[in-house]
Amino acid sequence: MIRGRVLRATFGCNPNSSSLGVDVTFLLFGAAFASALALVLGALLRRPKAP
Amino acid sequence: MKLRVLRARPEHFGGIVELERPRALLHVDRRMMRELGHADSPLWDAPEEVDARPLSAPTEVHLVLSRRCAAGCTGCYVDATPQGAALPFSDACRILDELAAMGVFHVALGGGEALELDYLFAVAGHARKVGITPNLTTSGLGLDEKTAERCRVFGQINVSVDGVGEGYRRARGFDGFRHAERALRLLRAVKPEVGVNCVVSRSSFDGIPEVARLVRRMRLNELELLRFKPVGRGAALGEELTPEQARRIYPLARRLMWRHRIRVKLDCSFAPMVFWHRPSRRAAAFLGVQGCVGGDVLAAVAPEGHLMGCSFWGPPEADARLPGAMPAAWASGFSGFRDFVRNAPEPCASCEYLRLCRGGCRAVSAAHGSFAEPDPGCPRVQEWRAAHLPPRTRLPLVRA
Repeated sequence: MIRGRVLRATFGCNPNSSSLGVDVTFLLFGAAFASALALVLGALLRRPKAP
Repeated sequence: MKLRVLRARPEHFGGIVELERPRALLHVDRRMMRELGHADSPLWDAPEEVDARPLSAPTEVHLVLSRRCAAGCTGCYVDATPQGAALPFSDACRILDELAAMGVFHVALGGGEALELDYLFAVAGHARKVGITPNLTTSGLGLDEKTAERCRVFGQINVSVDGVGEGYRRARGFDGFRHAERALRLLRAVKPEVGVNCVVSRSSFDGIPEVARLVRRMRLNELELLRFKPVGRGAALGEELTPEQARRIYPLARRLMWRHRIRVKLDCSFAPMVFWHRPSRRAAAFLGVQGCVGGDVLAAVAPEGHLMGCSFWGPPEADARLPGAMPAAWASGFSGFRDFVRNAPEPCASCEYLRLCRGGCRAVSAAHGSFAEPDPGCPRVQEWRAAHLPPRTRLPLVRA
């Protein structure tokens, strides 16, 4: 079965007049990090609530 | 651990979900929306193409509560004065109600100096009540312990610090560093989501490492570097970055992040300076690294009630105080912002980062004479013009 995907993730809140922009912290880690993060976030989103 | 979803709204590609911890907005596809228990949306009738259309509503709106501020900073982009216009409380609440109905997640409350308004906390409370996270930018002038305690209502609070000590005075035109530092200490004592906004100009550039050290020393959660834009009182200052500084800003931000172990962010107007270094496009797309998102991710409401694509520039698209005017304008307006990618001139048209960068900052382009032209501060644009245009026909670029 094909699972749903996380397409984009932006972290934090933006208090500024301009948009959230570039998060240097995460961009540094590259495409492999982004793919892994998408999988982890997807799995944690789907996870059933603890009883 | 299960991620707790606070809110979600459908989009043509699927939807956007807001997480409580970590605080984040996730774009997910239609399958994921269904897996999370959401019913199919009429927005899903069209083919599932990411970024093919603007969002159904902005995710964040800058609510410029006033043009009122006693500080008198030399480069103030809203040209704030002690008696400047303010958005009345009732209008602010009504606008928040409508933004909540549109599905907006965050508002950035600013000005002017929002803390000078006696109804700021009532506005923030109202935002919370309707499900929007209020965030705040402040100079911190006059902030005391009691006011800091009330600031718990906000999500993220950033204090403007464009330099440390004398660097602050040079950048802002008055000696306010000790007040800003005190405000940071008081705010940090009541909440962890406190950071620094630092406007990066030609003369403040060399002081950025000192500001990063301050962020580290005070254990703040972010340093946001904002590009100086030649608008408002800043229009005549000649403080835009030099071409060399524009090329150095991204490596500098990376170095400061590693050295001080702090989170460093660059605002959307720095996108061309980042993409010139050719980071991973896939990572940038996933992490929402984009240039001008005015009229798409972002909108602004001015104290006079004007709804605009961005608080730095843009024609008024509607009177936000009129019921129904904002959603109507969102559906059909903002063409100046939204059409740039489709009509991009060279060298943007042939740039592999065009869909992410979106031509850089529209406000800076407009300040240099044409909203529809590429950002003149972009290193690639500068290189292309130097190679393709005879000197006398080049647009006025940022001076070296």
